[in-house]
Amino acid sequence: MQTTTTTKFESTRFGPIEIQPESVIEFPNGLIGLSGSSYALVAREADSPFIWLHSLEDPALALPITNPWRFFSDYEVVLSDAEAARIGVSNPREADVYVTVRAAAELDEFCANLRAPILVSGGRGHQVINEAELAPIRAPLFDASELAA
Amino acid sequence: MLIITRRNGEKIALGDDITIQVLDIAGNTVRIGIDAPRSLPVYREEIWAAVKQENEAAAKADATQVRRPPARV
Repeated sequence: MQTTTTTKFESTRFGPIEIQPESVIEFPNGLIGLSGSSYALVAREADSPFIWLHSLEDPALALPITNPWRFFSDYEVVLSDAEAARIGVSNPREADVYVTVRAAAELDEFCANLRAPILVSGGRGHQVINEAELAPIRAPLFDASELAA
Repeated sequence: MLIITRRNGEKIALGDDITIQVLDIAGNTVRIGIDAPRSLPVYREEIWAAVKQENEAAAKADATQVRRPPARV
């Protein structure tokens, strides 16, 4: 979706949202298993670690994402040569890296998908497979003891 | 599902741009070569399926669940 004007849409979660053209992220291959290719980052709370990757095509489709290094200081992204060639990024740290978050009723059940991070660079996004050894697909974000009141 | 039997070394063409070749067969393991446009993602299916499941689970989150965690974290 090429646009030079603000994109406005009605999010089922957040109501009316305005997106600046430079905030639109095109996913040439979409997100794995999900339809659509145009998304934008939507931040709802100041200093929350979570932001939303919101579809610009489906008003009900949005995924919480986070910067993995906020929770996993030694997180590593390793791409196969084929993946690096596919997305046109040789060094993953050149891109903005996000991981999807599976939310739950309790914070101590939140998990991040470290196996399939999302790399954003130059208005384009790609969900890639991380070949690093320790990259669980469901990595708990919070230790229960950290959350105890 | 289309089912095709190949011997070692033989290939399958998917359209004009994709070729799959049996490179080696050893016991229970088949080594498969895939020639496809660089832009086409190729995954082990179980990884693709698991990531799809996590994406769908993430997309179920509602705004009230995803909130700033307590200050001590």
